[in-house]
Amino acid sequence: MYEPVEVVSNEAVAADVYRLRLRAPQTAPLVRGGQFVHLRLNRHAAHTPLLRRPLSVCQVYGDELLIMYAVVGTGTEVLAGKAVGDTSMDIIGPLGSCWPIEEDVRTPLIVGGGLGIAPLGMLAHAFRDRGINVKIIQAAQTAERLIVREAHERVKRDIVFATDDGTCGYHGIVTDLVREALAERAEGAERTGDTAEAATMFDVAYVCGPEPMQKAVSEVLLQAGVRTYVSFERRMACGVGACLGCTVPTIDGLKRACADGPVFAAEEVCFDDAIASRVH
Amino acid sequence: MTPSPAVSTSVHLGSLTLKNPVMTASGTFGSGKQYADFIDLSALGALVTKGVSLEPWSGNSGVRVYETPSGMLNSIGLQNPGVEAFIADDLAWLREHAPDATVIVNVSGHTRDEYVQVIERLAQEDGIAAYEVNISCPNVDRGGLAFGTDPDSAAAITRACKEAAARGDGASTAARAKRPVIVKLSPNVTDIAEIARACEDAGADALALINTILGTAINIQKRTMVFERTVAGLSGPAIKPVALRMVWQVARAVSIPLVGMGGIATPDDAIEFLLAGATAVAVGTGNFIDPTLTVRCIERIEEYAAEQGFSAVEDMIGALERRDIP
Repeated sequence: MYEPVEVVSNEAVAADVYRLRLRAPQTAPLVRGGQFVHLRLNRHAAHTPLLRRPLSVCQVYGDELLIMYAVVGTGTEVLAGKAVGDTSMDIIGPLGSCWPIEEDVRTPLIVGGGLGIAPLGMLAHAFRDRGINVKIIQAAQTAERLIVREAHERVKRDIVFATDDGTCGYHGIVTDLVREALAERAEGAERTGDTAEAATMFDVAYVCGPEPMQKAVSEVLLQAGVRTYVSFERRMACGVGACLGCTVPTIDGLKRACADGPVFAAEEVCFDDAIASRVH
Repeated sequence: MTPSPAVSTSVHLGSLTLKNPVMTASGTFGSGKQYADFIDLSALGALVTKGVSLEPWSGNSGVRVYETPSGMLNSIGLQNPGVEAFIADDLAWLREHAPDATVIVNVSGHTRDEYVQVIERLAQEDGIAAYEVNISCPNVDRGGLAFGTDPDSAAAITRACKEAAARGDGASTAARAKRPVIVKLSPNVTDIAEIARACEDAGADALALINTILGTAINIQKRTMVFERTVAGLSGPAIKPVALRMVWQVARAVSIPLVGMGGIATPDDAIEFLLAGATAVAVGTGNFIDPTLTVRCIERIEEYAAEQGFSAVEDMIGALERRDIP
C-alpha cells in the first residue's frame, strides 16, 4: 500500500522525543501491532535525505497513525520540522511482521525500554480489547522519557516503571523488575496450589527496546521458560525485503528485519552478532 | 497529453524483444515478488533478479546500507540462496504468479567455472529471457569486480558464459540456447570503453552499465570505517552524471545495445539515458524511494516519444542533436 499522508500533529513530548499523528485513511485499518510504515520525507523533491525512514506504529485512531520517534539523525531532524497540515510526505505499508497473539494467551507480559514501548502500544490495546490482563514493565533513562506513561496510568494497568536516574518508579535496570515479576508469579502459582503453573506464570512475553536490553531481558525470560518475542530496529533501504540491507543474524541464518521481522522469537536471534552489526 | 497509439515502445537486446525499455537493476528488486503489491511485474520491459551464484552466499557482516548525500552506499555482498534454491523458490514463484513477465537472471561467481555452471543449470529451466553476467560487484573478495576491471578477464568470462548459454546442458531447447548474454560493467576502471570493446569482441549480446561506484564512509566518533570490508558501492542520484557520461562514451565505442543505469530517480532521467545511447534503462535505488518509478518511466517515455514526434522508442536511442563546435 502506497499513500500520501497529512500531518495532524507533531509535537515534542520530551527532549528530542516527538509524538506524530498522520492521517492515512487507507493504511490505518490494515496496521497490526508491531508493524511499521516506510516514510518518505518529501515526495516532491530533495534527494537528501534520499531513503525512506521505517517508523513503528504506536497506535491507530480511526484513520490516523500515532508514531513516537526520537530525533537521532538527519531524517528525524527533518521530520521534527514538519508542521501541522503538511502533505509533502508519503508512506508505504504497513510492513513487516506483527506481535503474534496465540489463541490461548492468558497471562502476557510486555517489557518496553525507552522508545521501545511505542511499537508495543497496539498490542497492549489488543489484549485490553480481549479482556486479557497484561502486565507491563516500562523502563527509560528518566521519568520524562517514560513516554505514554499517562495513557497507561489512565486505564489503571498492571504496570511498573524503572528509570536509570530514579526519577520515577524503581531506580535501576529493567531486568531486576522482570526477575521480580517472575518471582511473584512463581510464588503465586505455589500459593494457590494450582497444578498448572500457567495459571499465573507468564505464558508469553513481548520485549522491545535497545538491543542489549532486549538481549538481557530475553535471557531472563527464556531461562524461566517464558515464550519471548523481540523487535529489531534497523536502517533500511527498500523496506520490503528486496535489498537485504537490514539483516538480523538468527540460528537459521540471516533474516530481514523488514520482511521476516521486525518481530522475531527471541530464542532464534543471535543477539551478540546482531548488536555488533548495528551502525550508530 | 495522451500517448499516441502510433508510438512503438518495444526495443531489442540481441535476439530478445522487450515490450518497453524499462528494466529493474539487479539487487534492488529482489526476485520481483517483493514489489508485486506495487506494480504489475509483466508491465516491465524486463525484471532483473538479484545475483545468483552456484552455492548459497551469506553476504557481508556488519553495516550493509548507509545513506549519503543524494545516494547510498551498500555492502550486501551478493547474499543469495544459490541457484538451486533460486529455481525452486523465486523462479517457480515468477512462473506461477507473473508468467508474462520478462525475467533476466543476474549471474555471479567466484571463478569462471562457477559462472558457467550457474548458466548451465539455468539453461535447463524455462521462464528466463536472458542472463546478465555480473563482473562488477565491488562487495565480494573473489570474482566480481576483479573480472570486470581487466579487458582480458572480462573477455574470457564473457566468452565462457556465451558458450555455456548456447551449449546449455545439451538438452536445452533451441529457444533456451538463444538467450542473450548481457555483461554488466563496472565504472571503477580507467577506460570503460576498452572493457566494453573487449566484451563485445568476446560475443556479448548487450552491455549493462554502470554498477555501483566504489566509495566508503567513516564513523568519526568511533574513528572506524563504517563498513567491515572498508569499501562499499555508491548508488542513487549522486552517481547519475557519471553513469550518463559512461553510457554516452560506451555507446560510441561499441555497436551492441546498452542497458543504461545509475541514479535514475525520475522518468526524465531515464529519457536522458536513452538519448545518451542506451537501448534500455534500469531503475535501481529509485525503486526503494518510489516502488512505482519503473511504471512512471514507462508511461513518460511513451508520452515523450509522441511529443517529440518519434514513431518508435527505438528511434530515440542516441537521438541527440549535433552541437556545432565553433
